[in-house]
Amino acid sequence: MSNPAETPSRDSQVFLPDFCAAGTILVVLLVAELVAILLTLAAHTLAGTFLTELAKMSMYVLWLALLGSAVLCRARPYIEHLEPARAFVVVFLILELMCLVFAEITFQVTAVFGAGAIIDDSHTTFILRSSAISSIIIALALRYLYISSEWRRSILLEAQARISALQALIRPHFLFNSMNTIASLTRSDPARAEEAVEDLADLLRANLGGPKDHTTLKEELEVVAIYQRIEKLRLGDRLKVRWNIEELPMRALIPSLTIQPLLENAIYHGIELLPEGGEVIVSGRRTGDQLHIEMSNPVSKTSAGKKSGNKMALSNIRQRFELAYGNKASISVVETDDLYTVKIVFPYGENLS
Amino acid sequence: MKILIVDDEAPARDRLRQLIEESDEHVVVGDAGNGLEALEMTAELDPDIVLLDIRMPGLNGLETARHFNALEKPPAVVFTTAYDEYAVDAFDAQAVGYILKPVRRERLAKALARAQKLSAATLSAVADGAGMQNRRQHICARVHGELRLIQVEDIRYFQADQKYTRVCFVGGEHLIDDSIKQLEAEFADSFVRIHRSALVAVSRIHSLEKTSDGHVSVRLRDGDALEGDQLGISRRHLAEVRRRLKGRAD
Repeated sequence: MSNPAETPSRDSQVFLPDFCAAGTILVVLLVAELVAILLTLAAHTLAGTFLTELAKMSMYVLWLALLGSAVLCRARPYIEHLEPARAFVVVFLILELMCLVFAEITFQVTAVFGAGAIIDDSHTTFILRSSAISSIIIALALRYLYISSEWRRSILLEAQARISALQALIRPHFLFNSMNTIASLTRSDPARAEEAVEDLADLLRANLGGPKDHTTLKEELEVVAIYQRIEKLRLGDRLKVRWNIEELPMRALIPSLTIQPLLENAIYHGIELLPEGGEVIVSGRRTGDQLHIEMSNPVSKTSAGKKSGNKMALSNIRQRFELAYGNKASISVVETDDLYTVKIVFPYGENLS
Repeated sequence: MKILIVDDEAPARDRLRQLIEESDEHVVVGDAGNGLEALEMTAELDPDIVLLDIRMPGLNGLETARHFNALEKPPAVVFTTAYDEYAVDAFDAQAVGYILKPVRRERLAKALARAQKLSAATLSAVADGAGMQNRRQHICARVHGELRLIQVEDIRYFQADQKYTRVCFVGGEHLIDDSIKQLEAEFADSFVRIHRSALVAVSRIHSLEKTSDGHVSVRLRDGDALEGDQLGISRRHLAEVRRRLKGRAD
């Protein structure tokens, strides 16, 4: 809150929903009608006149609600810049003023057409009563909106914090092993050592850059290729990777660093534990507007059941896909005795949030 | 001193070799890419010190080190690791020598100077401290001076045989030094004691049979029954054997 630059998105500073949107207005009208029913129930018995009274009350409250929505829709650009406490007061005053004016107009108009039939209060009583009721309801509604927006905001912040924390987690084991490889190559093969340092730098840059909600598939696969090159230096012929991804559109958007950790897992939990190594197979295909990527690696029988690190990386990716695509993406794992396969499905051409 | 280098990554082996050969104090007698190779080469080359990577496919470093104790003259061991928070804590706690990768020349020299033989008890304490599986995946037997590794999965039963223990597995039987008591403690989750002198793999038991003299004996899956007084189930263990068979998921 103290640092607006770090808030998750532009809109979160203001706690009001968009009153110009049809959905919001529908909800406003429903709530207004409930209020009308409540007020009528409180003031009248259910006998005889109830429905007539409800009709009058509804007419009054619904118009007020519509007018309020319209005012907030218009006023939003001005309110957006205010800090929450001030925005609360300003919005409250605007709506209260509007209610007063509306009550006054209603009284005058009904007076012309024979006040007694519709309003049975004196002028002052009517204004006082309506403004007391409206101020309580406005205050409650604003308080509700404020709390629920704070709640949504905290969830979003928490998710993002978790993402960046997890993303910073390039496996230390990999980092130190790579450094050791480079130290060794520095003497035996300086040219390759040089390439390895460059690759490692690029990989660290991609990792330290913090979470990117989306990158192109092309960029993500470049990071994966760099990672693969470094691991290849270390593992030699034990590591083979087969790519069958011609069908995938390289322009597709994907949350950054989601495929690289999958390969990292495949190597750490699969290839590295096999004396003869093995082949990681990455295949991709497209069905309609869905993209499927599948990565499988052989696993050693004796290492089965030691997958805790694996689960963490997977749940991180799952969380980020959920944030980016809602329930339109899925990640699943198929485990057999000697093969571990991760399948991800996500929409192509969706705007990522 | 004669040194054997064991690491599954070629650049890591090269690096250690470079550093050791530079110093002139020690000789590298060979290098191995996995634990099994390491055991064979240790038996053959008789190094004084083995530099042993922890994370290796097949036999990992800790298990390899435990099997060294089956050798006539076990070598001293220094572990190498890139990053193993828990293992490093456990090494410190047990005063076991290790080097972190990337390897530093001074650190290597120091570790080699202090290298020592490791007892089975120390290694087991390290495995516990590191949260690693303490249970071996292989049993090491010496047959005519050669080392043989037997996968624990393949073992049908252990049987005490005078001062040795006979391991009976799919494909034969060998004698080992480990006592039934030690083996029972280590493999309690998959083996059951049926008698003072016999430990049987629960998954390989076919059924229990009554013998003519009123005792109960075990019939193994592969068909051959464990017969005679020695191999029948003793009264003291019968209830436990029944319980384990009942709990078996099959």
